[in-house]
Amino acid sequence: MPEYTVAAFAAAALVVVVDLRVWRTGLFRSPVYWTAIGICLFFMVLVNGWLTKLSAPIVLYDPDQKTPWRFPFDIPIEDYAFGFALLHWVLARWVRFAEK
Amino acid sequence: MDRYQYLLLMGACAAGTLPLEWAFRARVYRRPLRLLRALSLPFVVFVLWDAAAIARENWSFSPRYTTGWLALFDVPVEELVFFVVIPICALLSYESVKWLRERRGGVN
Repeated sequence: MPEYTVAAFAAAALVVVVDLRVWRTGLFRSPVYWTAIGICLFFMVLVNGWLTKLSAPIVLYDPDQKTPWRFPFDIPIEDYAFGFALLHWVLARWVRFAEK
Repeated sequence: MDRYQYLLLMGACAAGTLPLEWAFRARVYRRPLRLLRALSLPFVVFVLWDAAAIARENWSFSPRYTTGWLALFDVPVEELVFFVVIPICALLSYESVKWLRERRGGVN
């Protein structure tokens, strides 16, 4: 099994499960959250696309540790799971630590 | 200048989202303690993940487009900056959308 693929999707699944079961932020039911995620996704494609473009890559991946799928601009699909895990976790903490 | 490419890209992300703090009343930088708490644990865990992935050669960084400055566990300084800047961009987006909706009297 490609390590990056497994780790990235496991991390994304983990933040979803932990949020639903433990943190209960309600973010998944929030239009503000989904709008923000959509905005982040748009800009992620630009930034990630620049970092991973095969013509002049800044980050280089071991092809054996990921799927061959890249979309668009050569972005490894695993990067979306990695990015989601990072951003959702931070947003969840931000919401949980709101001043009451 | 090539070696600063990754760092400059992160600088552009930070600079490009900075106006949201005021234009849409995001108030992310102005709540430094909450920001620090939100970023801290994910930062540590993702840097450790990065370090493990680098050690296991799952990925590597172009010597041409990075400074070569390494932090702990051979993690490039650029990556540390990434794990601070990118989450802040997301928080600024979230708080901006929230402010815009609240102003229009919508629900969150």
